[in-house]
Amino acid sequence: MSENRLYQKVVFFAIWLVVGMLLGLAFKEQTRIRTAELPSARLPELARAYVQEKQANAALEEQIRQLRQRINELETAFASGAKQAEVLSKSLEEAKLIAGLLDVEGPGIELVLRDSTRKPTGESLEQLLPELYTIHDYDLLRVVNELRQAGAEAISINGQRIVATTGIRCTGPVVYINDVKMASPFVIHAIGDPKTLIGALEMPGGALSDIKSVDPKMVELRALDKVRIPAYSGPTQFRYARPVPPQEVQP
Amino acid sequence: MIAVGVLGLVLGVLIATLALDISLPSEWAAYLSLAALAGLDTAFGGWRASLEGRFHTDVFISGFIVNALLAALLAYLGDRIGVDLFLAAVVTLGGRMFLNLSLIRRYYLNQLALRRQRG
Repeated sequence: MSENRLYQKVVFFAIWLVVGMLLGLAFKEQTRIRTAELPSARLPELARAYVQEKQANAALEEQIRQLRQRINELETAFASGAKQAEVLSKSLEEAKLIAGLLDVEGPGIELVLRDSTRKPTGESLEQLLPELYTIHDYDLLRVVNELRQAGAEAISINGQRIVATTGIRCTGPVVYINDVKMASPFVIHAIGDPKTLIGALEMPGGALSDIKSVDPKMVELRALDKVRIPAYSGPTQFRYARPVPPQEVQP
Repeated sequence: MIAVGVLGLVLGVLIATLALDISLPSEWAAYLSLAALAGLDTAFGGWRASLEGRFHTDVFISGFIVNALLAALLAYLGDRIGVDLFLAAVVTLGGRMFLNLSLIRRYYLNQLALRRQRG
């Protein structure tokens, strides 16, 4: 086989050129993928955004607090102005107490629910059903329901007052309560007769027994002489529901 | 011959990174990398063959194309059937590259030794 030297060189050059292009393309592609995908590289950026968002949140909450205080001032000014309004003011106070718009304190319980710290090992239940080892929205809902049934007069989870419109819902790894994100541990406060509340929670087959059967360390329950539960701090405006005068109510 | 190869390689990388604006779907990236690896292996093989005076352009070109395609195909097949078949290509090609490189190294060392003896 007598191929001329120049031809060989051209072919050799062409192949190396193509190899170079392939390598270059592969290099570029990998770099693109590495920068395009979310993790590690963008983590500091996300952390900064998170902190900013948190600060903005705190500022807005402060604003809500101030506005609510202003409403209170106006209400008291109004009440003190007219003598006959005193009765109204009292019933308003009552309504607010029921609605959870006032800070309250009294005897009650503190319940802490936290994700299990056990590490999955081998063929154990942890590996088969890892979701058993974390606290979910339904755990919280069962506890809240049980507490209400047992006559709890005020309930809060991680400082969020549970009111009539409160939603408790898992979204990925966090639970939204009153549209506030939170995660384990969940500190639940309730005001009521401590004995009754604890009895209701520890009922066999009840809200806590399922969690305890997985890992007793996930549950911490104790009676307190004095529990302070903050007022509901979310929006209170009704956009759709309108009150109906009594005579229009159909029998 | 080597100067020609290096020139081609550098030029190719420059063209691909600077001039060419091809964006492949990211699922293809693995196949592309593997094809590049196969190409690199063939190029080393060609280098070695040229040193041994056994360089044939038809063997070289066909080897390049078939190896690159086979490597990419193997990776694709592996993806489909859930076996990391691309490892086979990586191990084979990588091993052969080391072998070829060691032979190339030996050739040049021999040359050096010969020159010393004569000098």
